[in-house]
Amino acid sequence: MKDNDQKIAEKLKKKKFSKIKTSVKNGIVYLDGEVNSWDEVIELGHAAGEMKEVKGVINNIIVKDVKEKKREKNLPKDTYNPHLPERADVVIIGGGVIGCFIARELSRYNLEIVLLEKESDVACGATKANSGQIHTGVGEESGTLKKKLCAEAWPMYDKITEELDVPFKRNGLLVVITKDTLPKIPSFIGNFISKYIIPYIVMRKGKDVGDKPRIIKRDELLRMEPNITDRALVAVFMPGYGIICPYKLTIALAENAIQNGTKVLLETEVRDILVEDKKVRGVMTNRGTIETQFVINAAGIFADEIAEMAGAKEFTIHPRKGSILLFDKEEEGYVNHQVSELRFPQDPYTKGGGVLMTVDGNINWGPTAIEVPDKEDKSVTHEEIEGIFEKYGFIFPNFPKNSVITYFAGLRAATYKEDFFIKASKNIRGFVNVAGIQSPGLTAAPAIAEMVLKILKDAGLKMEEKENFNPVRKASPVFDKLSVEEKKKLIEKNPLYGNVICRCEHVTEGEIIDAIHSPLPALTIDAIKRRTRAGMGRCQGGFCGPRVAAILARELGIPLEKITKDRNSNMFVGRTKSLLMEEDKCGQT
Amino acid sequence: MRADIVVIGGGPAGLASAVSAYKEGIKDVLIIERDMELGGILPQCIHDGFGNFIFGEMLTGPEYAQRYINELKKTEIKIKLNTMVLEIDSNKRIIAVNSKDGLLEIEAKAIILAMGCRERTRAQILIPGERPSGIYTAGTAQRYINIEGMMPGKKIVILGSGDVGLIMARRFTLEGAEVEGVYEIMPNPGGLTRNVVQCLEDYDIPLYLSHTITNIEGRRRVEGVTVAKVDSKMKPIKETERFIPCDTVILSVGLIPENELSKKAEVKMDPRTGGPIVDERMETSIPGIFACGNVVHVHDLVDDVSEAAEVSGKGAAEYIAGKLKERKIPINVKNGRNVRYIVPQIIRAEKFDKDIKFYLRVKEIEKNTRIVVSSNEKEIFEKKERIVRPPEMIKLNLSPEILNKITGNELTIEVKK
Amino acid sequence: MKRIHNFTCIVCPLSCQIELIEERNKILEVKGNRCKQGEKYAIDEFKNPVRILITTVYIEDGILPMLPVRSEKPIPKSFMKKCVKELSKIKAKAPVRCGDVIYENILDTGINVIASRDLIRRK
Repeated sequence: MKDNDQKIAEKLKKKKFSKIKTSVKNGIVYLDGEVNSWDEVIELGHAAGEMKEVKGVINNIIVKDVKEKKREKNLPKDTYNPHLPERADVVIIGGGVIGCFIARELSRYNLEIVLLEKESDVACGATKANSGQIHTGVGEESGTLKKKLCAEAWPMYDKITEELDVPFKRNGLLVVITKDTLPKIPSFIGNFISKYIIPYIVMRKGKDVGDKPRIIKRDELLRMEPNITDRALVAVFMPGYGIICPYKLTIALAENAIQNGTKVLLETEVRDILVEDKKVRGVMTNRGTIETQFVINAAGIFADEIAEMAGAKEFTIHPRKGSILLFDKEEEGYVNHQVSELRFPQDPYTKGGGVLMTVDGNINWGPTAIEVPDKEDKSVTHEEIEGIFEKYGFIFPNFPKNSVITYFAGLRAATYKEDFFIKASKNIRGFVNVAGIQSPGLTAAPAIAEMVLKILKDAGLKMEEKENFNPVRKASPVFDKLSVEEKKKLIEKNPLYGNVICRCEHVTEGEIIDAIHSPLPALTIDAIKRRTRAGMGRCQGGFCGPRVAAILARELGIPLEKITKDRNSNMFVGRTKSLLMEEDKCGQT
Repeated sequence: MRADIVVIGGGPAGLASAVSAYKEGIKDVLIIERDMELGGILPQCIHDGFGNFIFGEMLTGPEYAQRYINELKKTEIKIKLNTMVLEIDSNKRIIAVNSKDGLLEIEAKAIILAMGCRERTRAQILIPGERPSGIYTAGTAQRYINIEGMMPGKKIVILGSGDVGLIMARRFTLEGAEVEGVYEIMPNPGGLTRNVVQCLEDYDIPLYLSHTITNIEGRRRVEGVTVAKVDSKMKPIKETERFIPCDTVILSVGLIPENELSKKAEVKMDPRTGGPIVDERMETSIPGIFACGNVVHVHDLVDDVSEAAEVSGKGAAEYIAGKLKERKIPINVKNGRNVRYIVPQIIRAEKFDKDIKFYLRVKEIEKNTRIVVSSNEKEIFEKKERIVRPPEMIKLNLSPEILNKITGNELTIEVKK
Repeated sequence: MKRIHNFTCIVCPLSCQIELIEERNKILEVKGNRCKQGEKYAIDEFKNPVRILITTVYIEDGILPMLPVRSEKPIPKSFMKKCVKELSKIKAKAPVRCGDVIYENILDTGINVIASRDLIRRK
C-alpha cells in the first residue's frame, strides 16, 4: 500500500495539480481547493483518476464564488405510511435498477431484506432516464469492470425478461461507418480505412464480448435501413444488442422481490448510517431506525454522500447529464435497428449514443454527455437540443425532426475513475459500496447483483436458499397489446378495462387501478405513467391528466388537491375558489 | 352492430352534423363520444361569445351546447358516452370500447369524423429546462378550473396570446390567481381584439409581444421562467432575458387537429390544415367518410363549425341515398398569394345548385386587400377586406351563379392588393 | 383639467385606437375611430363600461362539482371582482336547469346570476 501511495504522491506533484491541495492514503486521492470553473474540477478529478495506481478519487474542489443550490428535505406525506421494520438482515439503499436487482437476487435466500427509496417510486434516478439499451460491452474500455460485467450480463436478458414478464427486443445494433467517420484524414485514405480496416477492428471487439457480429455491405445496409444516409459506407451488425424498458424492468424486479418477501419502502430517506467499532449497526431514516449489519449502498448520484455517513467514502460522484429526444410513435418503422455512427476521435467518457428506439416503438436520439455541478440539475438545455439534432441528424437526414413529443435528462453517477465501484468497505465492516454505476449499468445489473451477493457471502452473511422462491412475476394486462378477442375477454372479466382513459396510448381504467394497487403501489401521476404509459403519448397527458388524477385520488382515498405528479410536485394549489377564500382571510379584496 | 351513420365525436361538430343528417331523413344515426357527456370542449368554455351568428345571441359555451343537446333530445339519434373509438378502416368498420358494452365492432354506411383537436405541447415547441409539475396547456387548465374544480396554480405566466390563452388569463385572475403576463412570440396578438381588451386590458395584465419563454425552472414544481424578446426571425435575443418567479406556466401555443383515426383509415391529409382533404360536401378522399369541425381545420368561431358540420351531415345523408355523383375530374382549389390554407380543397359536385362556402386563412397581415377567386386566370369573384389577419378566418360564399363561371379544373383563391 | 382616455375598439377587426378627451366628465372630443360605431363604443366604455359576469359556483349532488353561471345582463365592470368573490361563497344544488336563477339581484345591481347549463343529479 505504502509503495503504491508513494507512486501516486510523486505523480501528484505534476504542474496541473499545483493550484490545488492533494493527498493520498491507501490508494485514495484527496483533492481540495478552489478553481474557476466546474470543467477544471472535472479535469483535475479525471487526471487523478486516470492513474492506474489510484483506487478512488475524493474530489472536494469547489468553484470560486458559486453558491450551492440548497436541497430540500423530503418529509413523509400523510397518505403513504409504510411500517418501518425494526431490523433487517440486509438494508439496500436506493431503488434504482441496481438496488432492485440486488433485492430480487437476495430474496432467493432466507433473509429479511429491506430496500429504502427516497422518491415516491423506484427507478426515479438514472434508471428512468436512459435509452434502455442492452449493450454487449463492445464499446467499453478493456480492463474495466464495466466491460467485464456487461459482457457477462447481456446474454442473460432473454431469461430475465421472460421470468419477469417485461418487454424486451434483441433487435441488434448497426455500427455505421460513414464518409464522416474519419473527418481528420483526407477522404481517399479515410474511405479506404473506413471500408476495409475499421469494420474488422469493430468485428474483433464484438467477438471479444461474446457477440456474433457481421459486416454489412452498403447494399444490405440499405435493405436493413432504407432511410439511412447516402454517406454510409459499411456497417457492423451487433446482434447481441437489445432494448428494454428500464423502469418497467425495475418495477418488475421490485415486485418480484416483494412477492418473495422483500420489503420496499418508498419516500424513505436515509439520514445516517450507525456504526460502532467499525461495524455497521443500523440505518437511520426519516421514518425511524432499522437495526442491521449489512448495508448495500446503491444510492446512485448520492452514493458518495451515503458512503460518507458510514465513514466509508472512497470516491466522489460527479454527475454527467445525458439528455434524450423522443419522437412520435407514428415514426415507428422509419428505423429498424439501433443505429450508431462511428466517429473519430471518440469522446473518452461516452459511447456516443445514436438513433435508437424504445421497446414501445418511440424512436429516440441521444444521449448528450454534459458535466454538471448540481446533482439535481435535470434540465434539458437549448444547446443540448440543438446539439442532438445536429449530431444525429446526419445518419437519417430526412427524418421528420418536428415529431418530437418529449425530451428528458438523467444524471450518470460517475466516479473519477469512470468505472463501477463495487467493493466491501475495508474500513467499515458490513458496508458494501455499489457505486459509480453509469452506462452500461442497466445491462450489467444482473452481473452486478451476482457480484454483490458474492461480496456479502465473503463478508459473512449467512445465505440459505429459500425453497419456495418464485422467479416468475406476471405483469398486469396491457389492453393496447391484446387482440380483439383477448380485449373482449378482459372486459368481460372486469368492465373497467373497457374504460379508456389515455386516448393516445389506449390505457384503460382497469390498468391504472392495477398499477395503484400493485404490490409496489403507484402513488403519483408519474408512477402510473411509468407502469401503464398513460401520459406518454403525443399529447403528453393533456387529455388523460385530469382523469388519471381523479382515479388516483379516488383509489388512494385522498382529496384531489393532494395529488402530486412526482414526489412533492403538487398538481394544484387547492380547489377552485380556494385562493379567493384565502384573500378574504387576509382581508384583501 | 350496424348503423347508417356513425358520428365520431359529440362536440359541436358532431352534434350539428348528426342533427342535420337526421333532418335529411337518416334516422339510424349513432354518436360515439369518449367523455361522460355531450358538448365536446364547450362545457368548459364557460365564457360568452358563442352563437352570435347562428342564434343572434351571445351565449356561453355550455349554453350553446345545451341548444344542440336539446334539439338532439327531440330525435332518435343514438348516443354512446364514455366510449372510445380505437380503430376505423377504409371499409367504414369501427372498433370502439366502453365498460358497459365492452368491445364494439360497428359497420357503418357512412362515417362523420368530428374528433376536434388537441393542444400543442411544451415539448413540441422545444422549450428548454426542467420538467416540474405546474406546466399546463390552457385547455387542460381550463378543464381543471371549470369542470374538476381544481386551481392549477397561483402565480401564472402565459405563453401564447391566442383566444384560449387570453380567456384563461381572465379566468385565473377572477379565481384569485396572479397572472404576471401574457407572452406572445409574434408581433401581433393571436386572438380576437375583444379578448385582448376584455381579458387583459380590463385586468391590467401586460401583453408582451415578440417575446417567448426560453427556459423553465423548477425541481419539483415550477419555480420560474426565463423570458426574452425575439428578433425578426423569432430567435430569442439573449441580452433581453429576464427571470420571472412563478409557479405555473400555461401554454396556449396552437391547436392540432386530432387525426389519428383518420390516418388509420388512410384518409388523405392536407399538411397545410393538419386535417383531411375534403370536398364541398365535407367528404374525404374515402367515399362515405366525411369530416367536420376542428378535425378538418382549426376554427375561430363555433358558429362556423356548426354551419360546416350541417353541410357534412347533409352530405352523409346524400351519400347513403346514393345521390352523390362524382364529377369526372374534380376541381382543385389552389392556394394563391398570401393564402395559408383553404377548405374545401376540392370540388366534386357535378352541377352547382347550391352555395359553396370556402373557409380560408392568410399567411400574413395585410391591409386594404381583395380576396379574389379566379378560374382559368379570369376573376369570377372578389371580396374586399380592409384588413386580413391570420388569427381571423375568412369566409367566402360562392353562389351557383358564380360557380357556374368556373372553367377547367382549377380554382385559384388569392389575396390581392 | 382635460383627461385623455384610451380605448381599443372591438366592434370590427380594425381595432382602432380611440382617444376620448373629457373634462369634468363632459366629453369634449372622440378621435381615432374610423366609424360611428367606434365613437359610440368609446363613449359607452367611458360612461358606463359593462361586462357579462362569467364564473362557476360549487354545486352539491351534481354529476360535476362545478356549475358554470353567468349574469343575465351585463353588470358594471367595476363590480366584477366583488361579484365573483360573492359567488365563491355560495353552493347550488342539483338538479339545475339552464337558465335557473342561482343568485338573485347580485350586489344590488338588479341583475340575476343564472345557470349556464343543465346539471343533473349524481346517482
